[in-house]
Amino acid sequence: MTASTEVAPVRRARPRRSVRSGLLTGLLVLPASAWYLILLVAPLVIVVIMSFGTKSRFGGYDPGFTLANYGDALDPDRVSPFVTSISLAIGGTVLCLLAALPIAYFIATRGGSRKSMLVVLLIVPFWTSFLIRTYAWLTILGPDGVGGFVGGVVGDPSFRILGTPGAVLLGVVYGYLPLMVFPIYVTMERMDRTLIEASKDLGAGRWATFRQVTLPITATGLITGSILVFIPLMGEYVIPAILGYGRVFLIGNQLVLQFLESRNWPQGAARAVVLIAIMLVSVVFYLWFANRGRRVREVSVL
Amino acid sequence: MVDQSMEQMVRQMRRGLERTPLSRRGFMWASAMSASAAFLAACSSGGGASSAPSAAASEAASTAPSEAASVEPSQALESLGPEPSFVVPPNIESELFMYNWGDYVDPNNMKLFQDVYGVKKFTYDVFSNNDEMMAKFQGGATGQWDICCPTMNYLPAMRDQGFLSKLDKSLIPNLKYVDAAFKGKYWDPTDEYSAPKDWGTTGITVRTKDVKEPVTTWREFLDLIPKYSGKVVFVDSADDVFIAPLKANGYSLNSDVKEELDKAREELLKVAPHLLALDSDQYNTKIETEEAVLGLTWTGGILELRDKPKTADVVYTIPADGTVFWLDTWVVLADPPHPIAANAWINFIHEPHIQAIETETNRYATPDSAAKQFIDPKLLADPALFVADDVVAKLEPQKDNSGIQQRQDIWAEFKSKIGQG
Repeated sequence: MTASTEVAPVRRARPRRSVRSGLLTGLLVLPASAWYLILLVAPLVIVVIMSFGTKSRFGGYDPGFTLANYGDALDPDRVSPFVTSISLAIGGTVLCLLAALPIAYFIATRGGSRKSMLVVLLIVPFWTSFLIRTYAWLTILGPDGVGGFVGGVVGDPSFRILGTPGAVLLGVVYGYLPLMVFPIYVTMERMDRTLIEASKDLGAGRWATFRQVTLPITATGLITGSILVFIPLMGEYVIPAILGYGRVFLIGNQLVLQFLESRNWPQGAARAVVLIAIMLVSVVFYLWFANRGRRVREVSVL
Repeated sequence: MVDQSMEQMVRQMRRGLERTPLSRRGFMWASAMSASAAFLAACSSGGGASSAPSAAASEAASTAPSEAASVEPSQALESLGPEPSFVVPPNIESELFMYNWGDYVDPNNMKLFQDVYGVKKFTYDVFSNNDEMMAKFQGGATGQWDICCPTMNYLPAMRDQGFLSKLDKSLIPNLKYVDAAFKGKYWDPTDEYSAPKDWGTTGITVRTKDVKEPVTTWREFLDLIPKYSGKVVFVDSADDVFIAPLKANGYSLNSDVKEELDKAREELLKVAPHLLALDSDQYNTKIETEEAVLGLTWTGGILELRDKPKTADVVYTIPADGTVFWLDTWVVLADPPHPIAANAWINFIHEPHIQAIETETNRYATPDSAAKQFIDPKLLADPALFVADDVVAKLEPQKDNSGIQQRQDIWAEFKSKIGQG
């Protein structure tokens, strides 16, 4: 009897505590979930609803149900902006990755006492507006700058860099590089150095150590960085408009055209939904691919 | 929004660097204004520090230069001729929110308006084309601004959607200066909603140094484009780009006939691969650096190029097969936060002296003949600006074509093919 009465209060206390902690959790999660609901889910729902509507007389949106907007978005003659966007996003991400890896590796391993200074230097460009920095490339690459100089050297007066996919790619790598460097840097910075020593002790060369120890450990940083660069790149429209002279026409430019110029919101919304679907599929595929590789390695280690 | 204002800043910086030597009147304004600029600079540098000397400096700044700023503009005006009459309405608000094209009002006129009318806060927000402006209001931006400058073909739709207020004509006596040619037209049959701002054309810009062939018509222009492949710039505006193929074939530039638009599509897709850029903001820079030697452009930024020795070979032609006539208008928006200041502004800007300064700054033709006596005769004699009567007869007013889906589709297809293949 005594034992049971002693146990009972404990039993009663447990749910009470869990109710309280549940409340607390709910309270703490509330701002984030409200933010998520109001600023992400609700607009997304609006976009999806709008994509089935029609353009009103003055432009904008009239309620309705039609699949014509999706028909237009997936019209084989009009999918080229999607294709350009995907190839630019992949190319830009790969180039960012190749450029960021040595930078992050250098700062993390050879930075020494200058480490924090080097990190600050990476952030410094953000103090100037992105747009002004992009405009600066106009002067640098223009006919009075590198473009004209290279043209002079090659002997082709009509040579130019601006208005080519190369200029856009350069602008993209310049703009998005820090987004790639930081996650990689953080994982490399936290890496246990003794593992490298162990690898060397076991007779692995520099390259083998990098490939078999450093790279797998920093994989999370690589994956995070790639996604951070890839997703905004899919929606990019400023850099192609400025550095590409509008000759590189991405899905972002198409969306601007449909929302702000044609004022055909339903048609734009349908394209936006298709874009979101493409990004979801490619990111899920990428994560699956990246994690699959890691799991195999873990098994082999075991 | 931030991006736009940044873009605006950059554009202003560039223009500031490129600006031709100041005209006589410009110089007087500039000297009057430099005092207030010094005042602003003193304020901003003094504001950062917190020690005693800065307090002394800002005190000094707030006495001396502000005096100069309030006195010198009127002195400058006196030397121009008879003193213009500014009637300041009683109970005018102390703020004015304007939504306008970039760099479209003489900054000194804005300053003068603030000084004379006691409008302390004057905000100037920017849109880059009519559709962007329209999209803002359709998105529910009503009540955010007092005054706006749509092109006339957008007026009917704006009026029908309830985005406009009627003008308070008792506050705008200066509408008497507006020429009859701009009254009672299709865009505002009763002249209740708008006052004209300035008007212009869309035409062909040629670097005659590089292009030796005569280009006097849209037909010749379109046929020349493949020869100057990669050196041609068009403004990024559907209505303007459609003019070339439609007029070259003798159609109306407002055509909604399927066969005519099919023909226009064919012509546009033929030239698309040869274009350097579609660019509404920097087309004049591209012409200036000879990156582009042929252009389908507005006159803005182009006429100034002819004054510089390096770019004196720039020619702006109004094509003989006819082109568009556009008119930008002042409107008071619906639910304006400051209706009296908004109407007072329209009255102020139609004061002939002020109008003349606007014309000299913006280099677009004024709708007020009364202002012409104050305009630099050199500008008045410019056929690209004040178009000869026989050319005016060939101009066609722009209509609202945004509801024609075929045009939208052609435009989207054209834009995605620029420089491709």
